Amino acid sequence: MTEAVSKVIRTEEYQLSMGPVHPSTHGVLQILLTLDGERVVKAVPCMGYLHRGIEKLMESRNYFQCMPYTDRLDYVSAMNNDFAYCRAVEKLAQLEVPERAQYIRVIMAELNRIASHMIFIGSLAVDVGATTGMIYPFRDRECILDIFNELCGARMTYSYIRIGGVKSDLSVKVIDMINVFLKNLSAMIDEYNDLLTGNEIFQHRLKNTSVITAEQALQLGLTGPMLRASGVNYDLRKDNAYSSYEDFIFDVPLGNSGDNWDRYIVRMKEMRQSAKIVKQALDGLPEGSVMAKVPKVLRPPKGEVYVTTEGPRGEVGYHIISDGTVKPYRVHIRRPSLINLQALDLMCRGYLVGDVVVAMSTIDPILGEVDC
Amino acid sequence: MQGKGLLTGLSVTIRHFFGKKVTVQYPEEKLPMSETFRGGKLVLDQKKCIGCRLCSMACPNEALDLTVETDENKKRHMKKYIHKSGRCLYCGFCVEACPTKAVTWDKNYAIACYTRTDLTYDAVKSDGRNETHE
Repeated sequence: MTEAVSKVIRTEEYQLSMGPVHPSTHGVLQILLTLDGERVVKAVPCMGYLHRGIEKLMESRNYFQCMPYTDRLDYVSAMNNDFAYCRAVEKLAQLEVPERAQYIRVIMAELNRIASHMIFIGSLAVDVGATTGMIYPFRDRECILDIFNELCGARMTYSYIRIGGVKSDLSVKVIDMINVFLKNLSAMIDEYNDLLTGNEIFQHRLKNTSVITAEQALQLGLTGPMLRASGVNYDLRKDNAYSSYEDFIFDVPLGNSGDNWDRYIVRMKEMRQSAKIVKQALDGLPEGSVMAKVPKVLRPPKGEVYVTTEGPRGEVGYHIISDGTVKPYRVHIRRPSLINLQALDLMCRGYLVGDVVVAMSTIDPILGEVDC
Repeated sequence: MQGKGLLTGLSVTIRHFFGKKVTVQYPEEKLPMSETFRGGKLVLDQKKCIGCRLCSMACPNEALDLTVETDENKKRHMKKYIHKSGRCLYCGFCVEACPTKAVTWDKNYAIACYTRTDLTYDAVKSDGRNETHE
């Protein structure tokens, strides 16, 4: 349409409600889109459809009983949530975790990161219309879920990482399963590359859309792969190493331009790095117990802590205030999905409606975590 | 070459089309549950139970409603062991808390039921059937 014509035909902005029952909103998220034709003028995420009041629920349970609730925040990577919560309570109660437990925690957190990124690849593929691309990562994620099922008896809500250590030691069968998985992982990732990364249509949809510059990413407080895709080298596993992460050699993949493509590639590369960490941790697994001496009735001293952990979606932070009783006085959870979701408006402005779906997908929010 | 990526992707699909199936043909085929599997209904071994109530104290969501009775020898018995499975988080803390290993999961994962009352059952009378509570 030429300039002259577009001045004559005035288009009117209108609102379109996308979700909460839209197949590509990854759960129950509503996006209020203000559109000018097919261009997005404004995108407002409306949250709260999955609110369960977990922070409040935790105030009425003792420190041990809070564990199943942290599982239900980011249910795709429950291990990482448990990990963050346990670290916070351990710091509060000044508990020392045995080294073997630290290594096992790292193994499980990294395996869960791979599983979570597989979900990301699968859901991204199905959102851009490549339904076949979804099946493969979901099939492979099943291998990790089988490992977890063997380990702790649940496929999703693990409650495996406990205050003071882990629930049980690794059995020979579990170690074998992890080794088999690590051996196959490279072929799995190659398959995704063949299916998706090399696909011209897929590239066309992702490249140069929803660009976030490093400065904007920092201003929005983005963390995790979202931030690293914009080229900011910030990974808590390196910058604020916890739970023996300093023992392992791994790279932090970075993007250049901060577009959807970079966010995809960063996560693809992270899977290989996670596998590298798991391999090193399994090889160097120290002997010893997997549980510290934790009192049956845990009464941490008065005070407050804020502890952060690098989850698959970014910085998972737990702020716990103790009043010296068996129950936490207040728990606040920094959920990376919630904060990353704030970038949606910036990522959608000026792009087409079809790109909203892709932007949404590369943020990779888990609504259980967003709504808490 | 434009379109080469598409063809590579298609070759993956075709290769798997003639490959081995990875899915399980449920319900004809069933997967065995792992040793540690948490799920199904709670089974109470009354001979082992000492009526200490540690299981209900460990429960994060008050899913266990117990009635303990003391007999003439001052020995505690579990009269009712109501498991409100609708409230249950399946964390297995009750099973872990038991000092005598009297509580276990029956590992039967097909526990869907038609009415809300069917979710609540008494593990003392557990003979593998849906024993509804009131």
